[in-house]
Amino acid sequence: MELLFEFGVVLALLIVGLVAGGAAERRHYRRLREKEAELGDILVFNERTPPPDLVIARSRLVTGSVVIGEDYFKRVAASLKSLVGGRLTVYESLMDRGRREAVVRMKEQARHLGATMVFNVRFETSSLSEQTGGRQATFSAEFIAYGTALVPAAAA
Amino acid sequence: MSYENPQIPEGINVGRDNALIEFLRLAAGLAVVIVVLAAILHLGGNALARLIPFETERGWVGERNAPGIAPIASGRGDIESYLQELGDRLAVEMDLPPGMDVRARYLDLDVPNAFASLGGQVAVTRGLYERLPSENALAMVLAHEIAHVRARDPIAGIGGSASMLIVLSLVTGDAMRLSGAFANLVLRGYSRRAETNADERAIEALQSLYGHAGGGDALFETFARFRDERGETEIPSLLSTHPLDADRIARLRQAAAGWDARRQPLLPLRVPAHPD
Repeated sequence: MELLFEFGVVLALLIVGLVAGGAAERRHYRRLREKEAELGDILVFNERTPPPDLVIARSRLVTGSVVIGEDYFKRVAASLKSLVGGRLTVYESLMDRGRREAVVRMKEQARHLGATMVFNVRFETSSLSEQTGGRQATFSAEFIAYGTALVPAAAA
Repeated sequence: MSYENPQIPEGINVGRDNALIEFLRLAAGLAVVIVVLAAILHLGGNALARLIPFETERGWVGERNAPGIAPIASGRGDIESYLQELGDRLAVEMDLPPGMDVRARYLDLDVPNAFASLGGQVAVTRGLYERLPSENALAMVLAHEIAHVRARDPIAGIGGSASMLIVLSLVTGDAMRLSGAFANLVLRGYSRRAETNADERAIEALQSLYGHAGGGDALFETFARFRDERGETEIPSLLSTHPLDADRIARLRQAAAGWDARRQPLLPLRVPAHPD
């Protein structure tokens, strides 16, 4: 009986992760596409120097950061995949969402300042999970994008 | 120089494989590997544990209560000696190897149950004894447990589980939860086979002690009735440690096919469960 129960608990958690986590991911991607289109006029570059002909009124550091956690399905699927190795596609989408969300938030901050361009954009990613005593901790990661927002003279 | 951020196509940084299909394939593969590995480890541990001489096993337990029997004494020495005497008679019929004998224990528990433990200790609970209609049914359960002792099933079970769990504990994280469940299936499959073998030996013992196997089916009817009373449903065969009651009842009726209840009446229990 407890075997059925154990199978049931794992199965239920997997379904919750697959359904709820999948829905959250699709929703996030939809929102990301909307926001990216909306903020498309703010240009971002990883160049260190701004264009020489641009007349700049102000420059400010802008950052965008986000923490994204996994769902139970991703967690079990990744731990299974780790037995054989290869691309962890379930985490690829999670990392992709994190980076894009960080850029969106950074651009929102730039828009708030009246900037039209962000230069010298850098990314940082850090994992918030910690292995504790053999038990696998929940995986989540923080994504930070930062750069120098440039407010053109005309806008200021 | 022109500066622009063109629209980047979706999906460049994300694999397009279907995560669910990949997961199901991996889980199925893991299940096969774990079941095979667990079966090999379990059989190996079994075989090793069976190499331990019975005298050594008896020496570990000594006169103490074996695992599972521990602190539940009943205070009914008369029933315990009746169980011991019937068990000894069955042991003669079952041709136990030299140096092996059984120690009967009567446990003060309401749940109808019986089991064999280490050192040849065989336990019957009060709940079962009270519900048994005849000595023949009691002999059936005792012979079944003695058959486990004779096959060294208690110690083989411990050896098999130990070797399996030690290796599987190296698999960590959530994969461990799943592999534990698969390994459990192996254990249960093995256990069902051991139970069926013990039933067969017990039927033979009944036939040589009483000349027929009649009345043995009452044992499994007792278990089935107890479950019905409590409104529990039987666990499907694949997930259970024991074969289905209905199958066991059918097997016993088949074994008792030539039995004539008038010429060979069932014997009553010699010691009543409740002294008047």
